[in-house]
Amino acid sequence: MEKLIYAIVQPLTDVYAINLLLSGIPGVSETNLYALFYNDIAVVVSDGVILNEFVKKEMAIDFARVIESLSQQLTLLPVRFDSLLPSDAEATRLLSQNYTAFRNNLDNVKNKFEFGLKVLWDYEKGIEKVKINMESANENTNNCITSSSIHANYLLKKIKENKLDNALRDYIEQLKKEFVHDIAIINPEYNFNKMITANLILDGVFLVDKSKKYEFIQAVGNFKKNHTELHFLLTGPWPPYSFVVCPMV
Amino acid sequence: MNESKILLNSVPIDDYGQAIEKMGNSVSSRINATPENADHGLAKLVITLVELIRKLMEKQAIRRVEGGTLSDNEIERLGETLMKLEMKMDEMKKLFNLTDDDLNLNLGPLGDLM
Repeated sequence: MEKLIYAIVQPLTDVYAINLLLSGIPGVSETNLYALFYNDIAVVVSDGVILNEFVKKEMAIDFARVIESLSQQLTLLPVRFDSLLPSDAEATRLLSQNYTAFRNNLDNVKNKFEFGLKVLWDYEKGIEKVKINMESANENTNNCITSSSIHANYLLKKIKENKLDNALRDYIEQLKKEFVHDIAIINPEYNFNKMITANLILDGVFLVDKSKKYEFIQAVGNFKKNHTELHFLLTGPWPPYSFVVCPMV
Repeated sequence: MNESKILLNSVPIDDYGQAIEKMGNSVSSRINATPENADHGLAKLVITLVELIRKLMEKQAIRRVEGGTLSDNEIERLGETLMKLEMKMDEMKKLFNLTDDDLNLNLGPLGDLM
């Protein structure tokens, strides 16, 4: 029977302890969770379930709940929902073949939480602020085209749009640098997605030591106080979904 | 999202809704070619790539103008060329019923193409 794979974990002290933990957590569609071991790591699995399109969303939520419960007790690497292997033997082979990569990743995320931070702004107001800062640059632009023909004006408009794009990018980079500077003492690993929408200007994930959770939240709060024009959404703590880099063999 | 996971939230609900909607569009900005819509899927891919090249040309032209080495006549011709290219692209988009938001490709962890 196929096996649904949930997470690669660093087990508790012994097999009994982890099985006791798993017995208290229902798997997707009420299946039983169990662990398969290789050296000092393990993979949490259950019997595979038929992934019916109509209930897939509920199953994905169940799956996330399992990962969340496990992460309260164990250091783990979440596996993507819908990962099925043909048998227990194949699941164990996955561990043995990727042991070093799994081990390194587990060491990297040990005793750490992931936080997500989204920063939004009112695009119209924000862009006005950026425009004010680039007025002098626009004067130089006007000087490089002297003709006032329709084609020259078109080119001038494009140059101004390009300058605005660059100024916007600079503003966002500056904001990132400032935030990274403010959290430097917490020393998290982090990744920023590039600007996704006009309103969402920063979208970052941070891997923070568990002992520094409150310092991190405080740092975000202080940053927010200095940027009253921006809107913040901080979420977490999450399992380390964004910090697992395992090229699978 | 589980409310206990929200540690700090000063985002007006409308703004967040719009951002999430756009992110959804970004995720869906993949080539969705099926036997039934193969023409449209292919057209979207081709027009997206042409738009990318047009934008690169535009950037290069802007760099040359800003360099200050072009004569008025050259600036005129460059402006006319870029304007006509943009108009042509608008025609193509209309022809295949595409909007600017459609002309992008989600490259997974690398973000969007444009």
